[in-house]
Amino acid sequence: MKKYYQIMKNTWDEMVTYRLNFSMWRFRNVLQLLTMYFLWYSVIPSNKSIFGYSHSLILTYILGTSILSSVVLSSRSYDIGDVINKGELSNFLLKPINFFYYLFAKDIGDKAMNIVFSFGELFLLFILLRPPFLIQTNPFYLVAFLIAICIAVILFFFFNLLLGFIGFWSPETWAPRFIFTILISFFAGGLFPLDILPAPIFALFKVIPLTYLLYFPLKIYLGQVQFVEIITGLIISTLWIFGMYKIIEAVWLKGLKVYTAQGM
Amino acid sequence: MGLVMAAISVSHLSKNYQTFQKDPGLVGSIKSLFSRKYETVKAVSDISFKINEGELVGFIGPNGAGKTTTLKCLSGLLYPTKGELSVLGFSPFKREKEFLKQISLVMGQKNQLWWDLPAVDTFLLNKEIYEVSDSDYKVTIDELSKLLDISEFIKIPVRKLSLGQRMKVELIAALIHRPKVLFLDEPTIGLDVVMQKNLREFIKEYNSRYKATIILTSHYMGDVEALCKRIIIIDHGKILFDGLLSDLVKKHAPYKLIKIIFKDFPNPQKLEGLGTVKHFEYPNLTLSVSAEKSNDSASFLLKNFSIEDIVIEDPQVEDVIRDVFTK
Repeated sequence: MKKYYQIMKNTWDEMVTYRLNFSMWRFRNVLQLLTMYFLWYSVIPSNKSIFGYSHSLILTYILGTSILSSVVLSSRSYDIGDVINKGELSNFLLKPINFFYYLFAKDIGDKAMNIVFSFGELFLLFILLRPPFLIQTNPFYLVAFLIAICIAVILFFFFNLLLGFIGFWSPETWAPRFIFTILISFFAGGLFPLDILPAPIFALFKVIPLTYLLYFPLKIYLGQVQFVEIITGLIISTLWIFGMYKIIEAVWLKGLKVYTAQGM
Repeated sequence: MGLVMAAISVSHLSKNYQTFQKDPGLVGSIKSLFSRKYETVKAVSDISFKINEGELVGFIGPNGAGKTTTLKCLSGLLYPTKGELSVLGFSPFKREKEFLKQISLVMGQKNQLWWDLPAVDTFLLNKEIYEVSDSDYKVTIDELSKLLDISEFIKIPVRKLSLGQRMKVELIAALIHRPKVLFLDEPTIGLDVVMQKNLREFIKEYNSRYKATIILTSHYMGDVEALCKRIIIIDHGKILFDGLLSDLVKKHAPYKLIKIIFKDFPNPQKLEGLGTVKHFEYPNLTLSVSAEKSNDSASFLLKNFSIEDIVIEDPQVEDVIRDVFTK
């Protein structure tokens, strides 16, 4: 365990090395949040509701996705493809350390840092804007919410790994990653709540894993999902975790056999 | 000899790579999107050798000879296409924890240190990764930093270090767990003469102090001459020579060089039949003569010519190896 703690510590040190970079990036996050917030603020009048979403509900949703993104979608392992291509993977293969755990430890380090800062930013935002925000107090929803977040974190990590593994076969790993980022912003529900889509399309969304990254955990927090739906959702996303794990394992082993430790 | 455990044994190792070619320019790039000609490159083909515990062996060959590929196979990075490998009784590609804890691979051109952090942060991480106890870590770091004299820049971010400084901390990072088997690939590349000498002494010291088995590849014959008794010469994926460095010279270069500085211009006719003229630019002459006749030739020269200075030398290892490659 100690080694993974050391990895997290090094990740923090690394993140704050470039102070300007770091603060600009936080600034970008705040801007993005404010844009979304004011967009929806003006779309829905304060005493009416649209698509079953009241003013305060939609604003909670938007603020919620912002916090949730910083937990689920933050990562330090987006460059696995490059690490493989440039042969830096060798550094890890040579050591008695699990590469997956190493990456996950870095990701957790990154997420911890992100959570601290987004809470700070949101706290300021609350003082300044005093937005209507729903505080969930039902313990069942809260527990289910936490479980759904853990699943989302693992799912996103797995997506990241798979995209990175393209590096074993091709040096072009960034294009697929950009496409994935765009897909996420739409399919995961970061731009709008997915249930405002037509019912048949939304039903399809429930089967794909992307829905479980942001939309599903947040809906649980808002208390808008039935007990049965929560359970089925948790089961579907857990199945995705197992399925993706199997795929990752197979791809990894295949990749290692063609790995040429280039440039090393 | 007695019973000495072979630390490394390689039998009939082959490794092939798949590569594709691309014509230059944008047109070539687009063409390669649709059809690619794949080629199989035989980096290493059917090589075998054994290395005993505590040996320090030089691995020599031109660029692309297959040295690095062999080291990568031995350290478990590459999956061998054919053949059996055993390092400390382990099969490298399985990368078992106990195996990885006992080896290290250092590449002169690559770094494992965290670029933005001081070297000491990577040291601490490696300490945890290799599960080195606090007391062992302290002893090792103290010893190694004294040998390489790094204490003054251990806390400066790696990206701000000079190449020589970085190589030193790279080596230490790779040795924190005191590996029993050490693969060094071009450890002195790009370093100045003083730094090269420092590193050589360090490698020698590490070998004798910890009884470590070391394979070293290098372009600099100086490295190999200073460090290795035994060398393996490899080219085009095949072993050309495996044996003592002194035997190589005896076997492939049974001649000596006589270097003369004349006082007066010599009569060229008198020089004929003495040996092969390697180089002549008055007043300097270099003659190559067979090893057993070298003393006679020298005394003949001294008697019959007016000579300022004369030396008999073994041929340069570099030249001998060039001979081996061109054969």
